[in-house]
Amino acid sequence: MGLLSIIRKMKRKEKEMRILMVGLDNSGKTTIVLKINGEDTSVISPTLGFNIKTITYQKYTLNIWDVGGQKTIRSYWRNYFEQTDGLVWVVDSSDLRRLDDCKFELDNLLKEERLSGASLLILANKQDIKGALTPEEIAKVLNLEAMDKSRHWQIVGCSAYTGEGLLEGFDWLVHDIASRIYMLD
Amino acid sequence: MSDHSSTAMDEEAEKQRKHLAMVERLSKRPQSRPNKPESSSESTSSFLSRFSDLKTSIETQLAQSHSIASDAAQLKLHFQNTSQSISNLEKLVAENSYLLPSYDVRTSLKTIDDLKHSLQNLTSTLIPKKKFSFKNKPTKKDSAIHQPPQNQIATPHSDFPTRRDSPGFANKTGELLIEKLRGSEVGEFALSDLHSCEVRVIGSVRALFVHRLRDCRVYVGPVTGSVLIEEAEGSIFVLASHQIRIHAAKRSDFYLRVRSRPIIEDSNGVRFAPYCLRYEGIEEDLRGAGLDAETGNWANVDDFRWLRAVQSPNWSILPDNERIGVVDLSNLKNEDKEI
Repeated sequence: MGLLSIIRKMKRKEKEMRILMVGLDNSGKTTIVLKINGEDTSVISPTLGFNIKTITYQKYTLNIWDVGGQKTIRSYWRNYFEQTDGLVWVVDSSDLRRLDDCKFELDNLLKEERLSGASLLILANKQDIKGALTPEEIAKVLNLEAMDKSRHWQIVGCSAYTGEGLLEGFDWLVHDIASRIYMLD
Repeated sequence: MSDHSSTAMDEEAEKQRKHLAMVERLSKRPQSRPNKPESSSESTSSFLSRFSDLKTSIETQLAQSHSIASDAAQLKLHFQNTSQSISNLEKLVAENSYLLPSYDVRTSLKTIDDLKHSLQNLTSTLIPKKKFSFKNKPTKKDSAIHQPPQNQIATPHSDFPTRRDSPGFANKTGELLIEKLRGSEVGEFALSDLHSCEVRVIGSVRALFVHRLRDCRVYVGPVTGSVLIEEAEGSIFVLASHQIRIHAAKRSDFYLRVRSRPIIEDSNGVRFAPYCLRYEGIEEDLRGAGLDAETGNWANVDDFRWLRAVQSPNWSILPDNERIGVVDLSNLKNEDKEI
């Protein structure tokens, strides 16, 4: 067995993906990560700094970086951009007033060159709350269509509270990354 | 001092000598082991040269487009071929991504992206648009970019979904605002632009948004999700919730029961005390919201503007003798002046 085939085997075995979760404060990033991992979501403090979760998802290992969204610490997001395969932008669909802020921060983020190759999943969270905007309405406000040609993206409505939509969203993200980086077998 | 620098120079010379010896040793190695397996660095360089060849040929293809711009059918075919070459190049990167250093994967993908962009630009300039294409879109995008920031923020409002029937109170001065929600399912509840008002919300809501309140008193039943307060001044809040975030608040008192740690940001002169609200059936509502137990978290405030071990100067615990005492909304019933 040559060195090359050993390296290839190791790389194939790892199948690691680095996923960065960002979004405004109060959008539900930490709750989403804990819910996917099957952990208790009843007591979650606003994130001061970041959390890392390693999750085995299908045959892939996801390293999920959940970074705090408070205004004061948004400027530190850039420290986590390197090597990001997938970007998850979480939106509080019930927070109508701050959708402008949400759009502004997302546009800013997508200008970042280090993230230009990353697949983008937008989670329209809190769909379980009465009065929340639908994913279609959010897509319109965020003008997502504009990046049809420049990036792989998908918007999925979800509820971190009930868990609905989370798997659908992550399925898309993982498959999209896999088809770019690993080629689906 | 000079002693020190001369030893440093000696060390430098010694390092260089060792380095040269190593280079020489390495240069002899290939001859002694002619049949060694292809190393990963070699396959990287062979990939890179292949990649750059293909890239050059695609660039040539792109450059040729202008010369055949007059023949629409041929041009279309030409673009199809170019697009095919680009996806072949993409495939090459994907196939080699196992062994390539991640930097090379990224730069290669970036190059592919750039090529795709050039192709798109050429396609859109050389092939005239059909009548039914979305004419407004590009202009809209452009104007959004060139507009000054204020206008840019204002633009989304035009296609902003109109859903203003969501429960809450807005733009009031000097009023008593009462909402009884017991027994009905309420999602988000919003209070905004209130001045010198008293707000009483009986029953529980999923999310509470508070924006721009001055000299108000706010009494709210359990919030099963989160509370977000921005720009409050000279006000009193009595709230129970799973999460509470307070931004840009001044001189305000918060009587809280909260399952996680409340946070403040860009605030000062804010004081905290335990929850003190009563109304008929509040125990049931609190239980239903998972907020029946006192956690003591009302005093565990995190100040995102003060990340040091010592106490933040922006908040404090409200002294016992300055607290308002129990507020019983059922007893205040007779003063109701519902609006």
